[in-house]
Amino acid sequence: MRRLMLPLLVILGATPSVSQKFVADDPVRTDPDNRNIPTPKPYKLTDYYDFIQNSFGSPGDRVRRTAVNINTLGEVPDSSWFTNRHGRRRMSLEELARGPDRGSGPQTPLKVLRAKTEGITPGLLVEDARGDRYLVKFDPPGHLDMATSADVIGAKFLYAMGYDVPENYIFYLLPEHCHLGRGAIVTDVLGKQRKMDTRDTQELLNRVARTADGRCRAIASKIVEGEPMGPFRYYGARPDDPNDVFPHEHRRELRGLRVFAAWLNHDDSRAINTLDMLVKENGRQFLRHHLIDFGSILGSGSEYEQKPRAGNEYMWEPGITFRRMLTFGLWDRGWILVRYPAFPSIGRIEADYFEPEKWKPEYPNPAFLNCLPEDAYWAARIVMSFTDEGIRAIVKTGRITDPRAEEYLIQTIIRRRDKAGRYWLTQISSVDNFRVDDAGLVHFEDLAVRYGFAKTPPGYEASWYLYDNQNNRRTPLGEAARDVLSPLTVPEQVRNGPEGAYFGFELRSRSEGTPQQPKAVHSYFRRKQGRLELVGVERDQ
Amino acid sequence: MASLYLAAASLPLGAQQASESQVQAAAGPRLEQWAALRERKAEQLRPPERSGIEKFLYNFRERRVMERFAAGWNGFHPKFGGMHTGSGFAAGPEYRRERLLGGVLDFRVSGALSTKRYEKFEFQIGMPRLLNEHLFLDFAATSRNYPREPFYGLGPKSLKKDRTSFRLEDTTYLGTFGVRWRRWLSTGIRGGIIASNTGRGKDPRFPSTERLFHSADAPALDAQPDHYRFGAFAHVDYRDQPGNPRSGGNYILQWNTFGDRSQSLYSFRRYEAELQQYVPFFNRRRVIAFRAKSSLTDTSPGQTVPFYMQETVGGSEDLRGFREFRFRDRNLMAYNLEYRWEVFSGLDMALFGDAGKVFSDRSDFNLERLEGAYGIGLRFNQEKAVFLRIDVGKSREGVRVFFKFGHVF
Repeated sequence: MRRLMLPLLVILGATPSVSQKFVADDPVRTDPDNRNIPTPKPYKLTDYYDFIQNSFGSPGDRVRRTAVNINTLGEVPDSSWFTNRHGRRRMSLEELARGPDRGSGPQTPLKVLRAKTEGITPGLLVEDARGDRYLVKFDPPGHLDMATSADVIGAKFLYAMGYDVPENYIFYLLPEHCHLGRGAIVTDVLGKQRKMDTRDTQELLNRVARTADGRCRAIASKIVEGEPMGPFRYYGARPDDPNDVFPHEHRRELRGLRVFAAWLNHDDSRAINTLDMLVKENGRQFLRHHLIDFGSILGSGSEYEQKPRAGNEYMWEPGITFRRMLTFGLWDRGWILVRYPAFPSIGRIEADYFEPEKWKPEYPNPAFLNCLPEDAYWAARIVMSFTDEGIRAIVKTGRITDPRAEEYLIQTIIRRRDKAGRYWLTQISSVDNFRVDDAGLVHFEDLAVRYGFAKTPPGYEASWYLYDNQNNRRTPLGEAARDVLSPLTVPEQVRNGPEGAYFGFELRSRSEGTPQQPKAVHSYFRRKQGRLELVGVERDQ
Repeated sequence: MASLYLAAASLPLGAQQASESQVQAAAGPRLEQWAALRERKAEQLRPPERSGIEKFLYNFRERRVMERFAAGWNGFHPKFGGMHTGSGFAAGPEYRRERLLGGVLDFRVSGALSTKRYEKFEFQIGMPRLLNEHLFLDFAATSRNYPREPFYGLGPKSLKKDRTSFRLEDTTYLGTFGVRWRRWLSTGIRGGIIASNTGRGKDPRFPSTERLFHSADAPALDAQPDHYRFGAFAHVDYRDQPGNPRSGGNYILQWNTFGDRSQSLYSFRRYEAELQQYVPFFNRRRVIAFRAKSSLTDTSPGQTVPFYMQETVGGSEDLRGFREFRFRDRNLMAYNLEYRWEVFSGLDMALFGDAGKVFSDRSDFNLERLEGAYGIGLRFNQEKAVFLRIDVGKSREGVRVFFKFGHVF
């Protein structure tokens, strides 16, 4: 079944000419969802409810439909949710390594403003010598490097993918680097706040991993710009934000996050680890949507090594639970047999058992559940844009002190990348990167072939047609050409077509030995100012 | 950490750096359509609302009900359980303060009453972290009044139908001093006094012990001596998580001498050994847990052991399938083997087999004529500890179901 990539208007009940596939400003590259809004009400989500609602309920719209916030090319326009970065234009190794960082991290001495003592790994809110504010987090005892490197590496990957994330810096802290700010408070396990004293800092630092010379390795997460308004959910839309009109479970960047999360084993990808910030720019205030807290990513479980279950099974799955009960544990999932190398500095992560399509977060995520092959394809394209060198450059910023552990992590991420790409780029046609050059040749590229996931087919079946945008009708332009490869000469009728005319280019490929109907990809060109510009791409499912 | 983010909101922000400006796209039909959607929504704005259950859970979380429950109120805590199976549901207050006097002193006092009128009062004061946690010192006083203690007679051949009940009242004062050589190795000495009394049993279903047994069958039934005790112990513990171990071992060796302070008839020495071993497999989702324990009692000529201080097997801790304290004698040996598997992150299950016996003569220290039981159990856990255990055991005397707070071993 072929699925149009732009049913947004139908879904949301807008009133355009629905028979018209393309409008003048297609494909939109930016969604201006930064219009001025009234100040929303800060909202706090409880993780109990989030777990229960998603584990035992079915929140959001689960109808199988194409993502609603994409352009006619199937891309996600830049917005307050997502900015096309590495996926659109390759970032240099330096840019990848720098990620969201705009400075060099906290400058000592640090003034402690608040402390969080609950949980196994505590945290501090500090202000550095420049007046910048950071959340400071640490590694759990016995796992020096693990959580801090995961937080930095995760933020840099997700930033390069296109998400807004905090600036995270690794640094080494001695108690004498900290002094208490006036009015510094500590919140205890009961939520009681009291004035902080130096003993609190000392006790807090006694509970975290230290280097051999007694320093505490820490991550300083810079407080993101704006005023926090609480997390966003992976379904519905915020009722007090007029810019938030696309149901989150139908946003491509949130659906596709499933592929990214699987790649990086970000099992903690849930609403509680997101944050809407009210920012002010050019006299307007609007919400910018962030992903935060990557301590539980890769092999880190933040406060412990990642559990073997992570990524393989939800916390609660009744079917599996009862099967285990009734078979006395003789039946189980394969992940319980997975062996992990002993690297306390990176925790538990592997690539042999990893199956990208079966990966799961801690509990069901409505946007992930709605992820369709075309969403995953979009994400997999971005995943594959990270070269081995790019991955290495990002992992190096985690400053993992054990070189063997670091190399294992790099190789594991590379192998998981390839698995994710191999699977998702072969579920639908991966012919992509269409363009027409000045010589009248149409170029295209099969990404599955490019990355070595499929053999180069002997040729494609290509056909052109005139597309009636008003009435959604096609008029073939000549016979289909068989066994052709890129580049192809654009037919005369297309090259010299009238201004404003739309042309469709259908390309079918058949992998050798596969009996199923070949999957097609349709690209649409519009003649504008004497040139053919790509305005749409549709892929058969 | 999201909470700290929100906390940061209440603080005045420092100089804010202007972020990368979002490009305002030129309006066209598609963007006009999207803008129209936003215009329409702007007319219908409402603040985020919580459903009833979300409100409840939000308040539950924000008011930190669980944490408050665990932390108590100004040192006061509710206390549940703490008595053995058969005593009914027990509850009472506990007052607990930790890390007093600069962090070295812990203090605890509690009282509990069960639905079957069992009473227990405890007082404990200790310094468990002396000399950078290398030394520990503890003093505890415990007073018990258990009116329905079961007694079936002594020896492995006691009969189920001979069940009687007696009241056990005792007060124990016990001091401990120990050295923690390593995190996993400690040794120490203990000393104290025990004042005991037995009386007419109050279980209406069974006769009182003195109606069926005499002093010859139940030493010290008619007159209960007070004891002093002194002993030493060595403890090796390298379990990964003592509240629900998945790997490691736990070994305890104890020697204690109990001296009759009043009648010079009931002095004895006791040697105890317990070995626990945990063998994980399948990524620690499966565990073979094994425990062997033995206690041997030695007396000088003319001395014997009061029946209520003799060792017991049977019940939720060792021979599940038999009633609590089903067998009683001077010596015991017991073995437990469990195959545990994780059902999901909040529940483990276990298949278990138990074997054990009591005996009076050390020549019976062998594997002959062991009583056996087997069964299945559910272990509800949170974080790294079991908080509720349900075991169903079967033996030649029938099926027993045990509900217990905490782990078996």
